[in-house]
Amino acid sequence: MFDATDFMEINMGPQHPSTHGVLRLKLKLSGETVMACRPVIGYLHRGVEKICENKTFFQTQVWTDRMDYCSAVANNLGWAESVEKLFGITVPRRAQYIRTMLAEYNRLASHLIWLATHALDIGAMTVFLYAFREREQILDLFESFCGARLTTTAFRIGGLREDFPPGFEKQARAFLDRFPSCIEEYEILLTENRIWKKRTIGVAKLNAEDAIALGVTGPVLRAAGVPFDIRKAFPYAAYAEMDFEVPTRLEADTYARYQVRLEEMKQSARIIRQCLDGLPEGPTMAKLPKILRSEVNEIYHATESPKGELGYYLVGEKGSLNPYRFHVRAPGFANLQALPHMVEGGLVADIIAAIGTLDVVLGEIDR
Amino acid sequence: MTPESEPIQSGPEAPEAPAGAYIYDLKAAPNRQVELPKTVPLPGLQAYLADQKAALEADEAKWQKQLADYEAKLQALPEGKEAPKPPVRAAAKKDDYDMKTPVPSAPQDADLLRLVELLGERMEEAFEQAGELTCQVAKEHLLEALRICREDKQLKYEMLADEAATHYPAAEGFAFSVVYHLTSLSRHKRLRLRILIPEGFEPESACAVYRNADWLEREIFDMDGIRFAHHPDMVRILCPDDWEAHPLRKEYPVVGWGQRDIDFREDRSGRLARIAQEKAGNLGINLKVPKAE
Amino acid sequence: MTPIAMTLTQTLVIALIQCVIVAGFVLTLVPLTTFAERKVLGYLQQRLGATRVAGGLIGVTGGLNRGMWAMGKLPFVSILRGLPFFVADALKLFLKEDTVPARADRVVFLIAPAISAAASLLVFSVVCFYPGTLFTFPAWVPVIGNCPLTGTIADINVGLIFMTGIASVGIYGIVLGGWASNSKYPLLGGLRSAAQMVSYEVPLALSLLTPVIISGSLNFREMTRTLAGLPTLDASGQVLSQMPVLELIPLFIGFFLYLTCGFAETNRMPFDMPEAENELVAGFHTEYSGMRFSFFYLAEYANMIVVATLASAFFLGSHYLLPFGLQHYIPESIPVLGRPNLLFFLGKIISLLFVFIWVRGTLPRYRYDQVMAVAWKYLLPLAILNLFLAATIRYCL
Repeated sequence: MFDATDFMEINMGPQHPSTHGVLRLKLKLSGETVMACRPVIGYLHRGVEKICENKTFFQTQVWTDRMDYCSAVANNLGWAESVEKLFGITVPRRAQYIRTMLAEYNRLASHLIWLATHALDIGAMTVFLYAFREREQILDLFESFCGARLTTTAFRIGGLREDFPPGFEKQARAFLDRFPSCIEEYEILLTENRIWKKRTIGVAKLNAEDAIALGVTGPVLRAAGVPFDIRKAFPYAAYAEMDFEVPTRLEADTYARYQVRLEEMKQSARIIRQCLDGLPEGPTMAKLPKILRSEVNEIYHATESPKGELGYYLVGEKGSLNPYRFHVRAPGFANLQALPHMVEGGLVADIIAAIGTLDVVLGEIDR
Repeated sequence: MTPESEPIQSGPEAPEAPAGAYIYDLKAAPNRQVELPKTVPLPGLQAYLADQKAALEADEAKWQKQLADYEAKLQALPEGKEAPKPPVRAAAKKDDYDMKTPVPSAPQDADLLRLVELLGERMEEAFEQAGELTCQVAKEHLLEALRICREDKQLKYEMLADEAATHYPAAEGFAFSVVYHLTSLSRHKRLRLRILIPEGFEPESACAVYRNADWLEREIFDMDGIRFAHHPDMVRILCPDDWEAHPLRKEYPVVGWGQRDIDFREDRSGRLARIAQEKAGNLGINLKVPKAE
Repeated sequence: MTPIAMTLTQTLVIALIQCVIVAGFVLTLVPLTTFAERKVLGYLQQRLGATRVAGGLIGVTGGLNRGMWAMGKLPFVSILRGLPFFVADALKLFLKEDTVPARADRVVFLIAPAISAAASLLVFSVVCFYPGTLFTFPAWVPVIGNCPLTGTIADINVGLIFMTGIASVGIYGIVLGGWASNSKYPLLGGLRSAAQMVSYEVPLALSLLTPVIISGSLNFREMTRTLAGLPTLDASGQVLSQMPVLELIPLFIGFFLYLTCGFAETNRMPFDMPEAENELVAGFHTEYSGMRFSFFYLAEYANMIVVATLASAFFLGSHYLLPFGLQHYIPESIPVLGRPNLLFFLGKIISLLFVFIWVRGTLPRYRYDQVMAVAWKYLLPLAILNLFLAATIRYCL
């Protein structure tokens, strides 16, 4: 029916202002309609899994920061919990609370990046700078806790390296007090904006059945109507003691995901406040031998990173300092697999909205 | 003033200078030599019980040997000397670490029992460890097991969270284990299915049951070299399409075989090639750094 | 004003001087607009915009930067930090490498930016900046002694038609630029842009017809006088006709209509799909660099100034004080407020440019098919209704 001249084959990326990293999309366009879309990844593959097989369990944390570089603390939390599960270590309660708090700050930071870049791609450049203003304050908090803004290496096996510094709690509370007005600002600019709604309602739909079949998790799945959140389903850290809601929508389009993530930001602020208010006293580090040698064991532990289910699959060898196999289940990997499904049949401009709404970070996809 | 140095000998003693463009023997480079692991860290109930029994027996044998040595010492004791102290059985070390290594135990969870019952002979082993359910399935019956997990009303594992492969070079009878992590969203449970496959075996692709196995299996193919039968698109995903060898195998060194080590440095003036040629030409043999004597 | 008979040479020289002044005005306003864009967008986004030139504290630029640092401490003047930026920007564009894609259609590639820039500058030749003489040259000036310097370069009777025609020629530049680049992204951008601009020409022209119907003339000077609300006088000073006050409504609607179409014509947010950086790298001018790119850049900003000028001229009362035909409430005897003044016109143009930049910082952009839908489904019927309304009010009252 179509001959070769009817389609234009165009390449989007790997260098492109809005593919969020080095993602290459091979597109077949018929005019403005996308006939086929094939993502090509691997441009940021650094061999993290192979490298970690040669490092001690402690040293592998550093590589987890750099996979999903926008939410390093969430990666660190997943790693710490996985290694602790492998060794059967119990972490003191105070450390769990602080870890939860930092992970939720990280969720805020990651969602702020998502909002900034997504809005920028659709054209609202002011929201980009407003969101980064808030993110600066969160990064300041991280810097005062662990010395680094982005690649935090925040946790240790068995707890935390040290308690938080003086002034941290005041800074944290000051941020929380300011935050609701900031979210209101974003909502004023975007939520009822006619142009924003036209660009996002009905765009890049992914319904629940397809999402589950494609292994998509996180806000994308929740916007499709499936109320699955690992913090509630398989509680870890201090989430079992926290009171929060899991926002879900039914429309499964870009606007629904936008609303889900904004709502998640509000819930994160709620969790942080509960952590700060109910922080128990006690040690922040478990009693452990100086050198950890593993036994023959394999575990899979998943946590809810801002992008979805982040899983670590570790295999231990008897008496070894290094993991025998270190595999990371990146949420972006499955989410990006759903991109062709969401985009084929739509317009070129919707691809940008789709990539933004999936919150794709190539660092964790390529590892 | 030194006498005029003699030119490099060419003759039977001198090594052969390479004729054309020098080709590196990268695989012989010292930093690319790997030590293959000697053990097979495959968790399993039988293996664990066997290990425990062997450890107990070894401990018992050691105690008996200690007793026998003591007896022998008593026997060979010269007159007048005091008897050495009798051996005390070493008690198990107690420590107050917050660490309790998880061990495999027999299946008790309802899901695992149901799965065992449904699979019957197709299953090789099932156990629980660290709160996780594992079931090892015979490699030919993988798809059936996955279908059962997905469609059975009491199991309902709707999502394939992850699929990973591990290379066990020291194992006999199999070379890889491929692990499938299934999640039940509605029942909040996780399950792990495992198959052990020898080199060259092509397991069935799980795409027929779970669509996201597509990219997961491409990654396994890319990293470990395991092909999956009836996969829609079996090409490399992370490494470039023309890459040789499979990086996550244990015989592949972390620094790689050097396929891209030189390529990406653009040698427009030819200076790098000349330096390499000089080094190689002067040594006359492949590029091994001479050991200091 | 009694017209003086002037020889051809005198007319030409006067026209040349007027062209130089107008061109100088536009070519100064364009870089200032780019500077204003940086600063206004910056302050909207809670940052400072461009405050330094070329970095460093040594040399000429270094001296300027030190000056900027001192300026930053003064309360109101500090918003002008970075003023040398507009010179630096122009200089940067001059000094960049000029590349031509290998298989591009060379002649067309070279001409396209020139067409765009020329078309946008030509529109100013019929704009009436000031009704009447600005000043008369004294007698001792060699060729043009005693000749008046009027506020219009070419006071022709079909001014409006000339302007819309020339503005449409500017579209050629964009289309040809996109096509001649021989590359996929510019092609997509050029096609999108062409379709968008051609579609928005229709409601634009219709919204400009409203002032024509109200004033009954196409001559720029007469239109601005009538639309400001001032009565048309015959030779003896008797009132011939006066615009009814109710025309305020179609003028008001027409203003927003025209402004929206103006956003689309100049490819500015929220209609800047053709140059959406996030999607098409840079749209039709992806392959252009250096001076040629600066011509497209100039054309875009000159188009913005054209839109601002026309909107201020027809709807906002141009060189008179009050907009939307309310000027007749101020008697002409009041010295400053009642008389036409060039500064009012300039002030209105600059405020509209500020509105352009403000909208860019606030709204996201429409998707391409939505852009078309807005033009054909919403703006066009509204423009027609507005026209009917204006005509009804004029002929019934």
